[in-house]
Amino acid sequence: MTKTRIFIFPFLLAATASSLALAQHGMEGGTPMTFFVTSKPIGDGGNLGGLVGADGHCQALAENVSADGRTWHAYLSTQARPGTFAVNARDRIGTGPWYNFDGVTIARDVAHLHGDTIELARLGNNLTKRTGLTEKGQIVPGLNDYKNSEVAARAAAGARGNEFEYTVSTPYSNRHEVLTGSQLDGRAYPPDLDYTCDNWTNNQDPDPEQNGGRMGAFANKPNVQIGFPDRNGGGNGSWNSSHGTRGCSQMALAMTHGVGMYYCFAIN
Amino acid sequence: MKETLTCLVLFLAALNTSFAQDPGMPDSEDIPSNLMTFFVTSEPIGDGGNLGGLEGADAHCQSLAAAVDNDDRTWRAYLSTQARSGQAAVNARDRIGEGPWYHSKAKILDYLQRRLNRPLIQSEIHGDTLAEAQRGSNMTKEFALTEHGELVNGIGDPLPVRHDILTGSQPDGRAFTDGEDRTCNNWTSNSEGSVQVGHSDRVGNGNMSWNSSHATTGCSQEELVSWGGVGLFYCFAID
Repeated sequence: MTKTRIFIFPFLLAATASSLALAQHGMEGGTPMTFFVTSKPIGDGGNLGGLVGADGHCQALAENVSADGRTWHAYLSTQARPGTFAVNARDRIGTGPWYNFDGVTIARDVAHLHGDTIELARLGNNLTKRTGLTEKGQIVPGLNDYKNSEVAARAAAGARGNEFEYTVSTPYSNRHEVLTGSQLDGRAYPPDLDYTCDNWTNNQDPDPEQNGGRMGAFANKPNVQIGFPDRNGGGNGSWNSSHGTRGCSQMALAMTHGVGMYYCFAIN
Repeated sequence: MKETLTCLVLFLAALNTSFAQDPGMPDSEDIPSNLMTFFVTSEPIGDGGNLGGLEGADAHCQSLAAAVDNDDRTWRAYLSTQARSGQAAVNARDRIGEGPWYHSKAKILDYLQRRLNRPLIQSEIHGDTLAEAQRGSNMTKEFALTEHGELVNGIGDPLPVRHDILTGSQPDGRAFTDGEDRTCNNWTSNSEGSVQVGHSDRVGNGNMSWNSSHATTGCSQEELVSWGGVGLFYCFAID
């Protein structure tokens, strides 16, 4: 009898978990969504109107699809400035666990999300291409998706003068670079180089004479650190800190396969 | 001073994107690429966890590789064995050489005219430092191709799912030391026992581990299938 119970218990757990996972967001009894990737960007490059503007965008997108009154924060860091402390993205998102549109757990807590110990980091969290969904339940198109599409064909032909127009007018274009402005551990970068488009207020590209075409953080160059919800890109697949960008304009984000989307977490 | 700094930055940037051994570019877009030093077996041996020991598994890697190219590399299965009386454990990570390892597809120029595919790096795939473990490696579903250049079916693909990859290893690539069977009795059992598997598509069991996601409840071919695999494993060239 004891043995039977031991065997049944895990199956019940598994059954409950999978039924929760299948319950659609918003359905009574479904696991509430507390994580999403913004289905659309603000659209002004790295200028999100600061953290306040970014949080407002999360809140508005969430309220479009749900009325459960949560408080949403953008997963973004800001860098220290004279008289202002840095803000770490990891400190803005509550304590978890966080569930996506489908009710699937993204991470149990902050340590699991970031891999705070080497054991946790090696296993990784549960943010994958299949779980890194928007607030509408969409998969974020990633590297080599729809590679036979018109977008890919034109990109291959070098017709890359209007990438943002491609990405906003083409539903399945690659848009997997997600703004974070954060280091791997979810903390802000030191203040000397730009990793946050000047704390989410800058939509400018670098001086072409000085830094034109360079990717990443250099002196006096607008830049933002990005990660991949589909975990595929930059040769590492980091969800929150893979590499920098060519600049902070909307065009510059698109040139390296992003449109300025970011992660939103409910803090309650 | 400024120039020195610029040089330093450029040097660091170069360091960041170059590899210990630069193998150059693939000769052609043929599959497998002449650079291939890594693949997932396209087919299992088919007798559950009984691979004929490490020797049998290595021979399977070698024969699959020989069937598609004639580079005469020496191939090793990425498998650990556990310590037995009078016999030390073998760590999968210690069997596969130094790398870096490239997959079976020629790298295609990306939109920035870069060769995008970063190869597998020993310390990155095993997360030897905290930062490496957090950042991850280029071991993705798209990188973990068979010797034929084919994707391995994962979660969401048409059944059967084949993403459970035998490793018998911990996330750091070393043998288990906990006394439980994690290697189907060092790759000789096709019935009793258990084997630790990773996921070639990096999806499943709530983690992303390519080499140590969960254990199975048996070693028969049927048990492996019931968990989402068929007994595939990773092969690395040591030269």
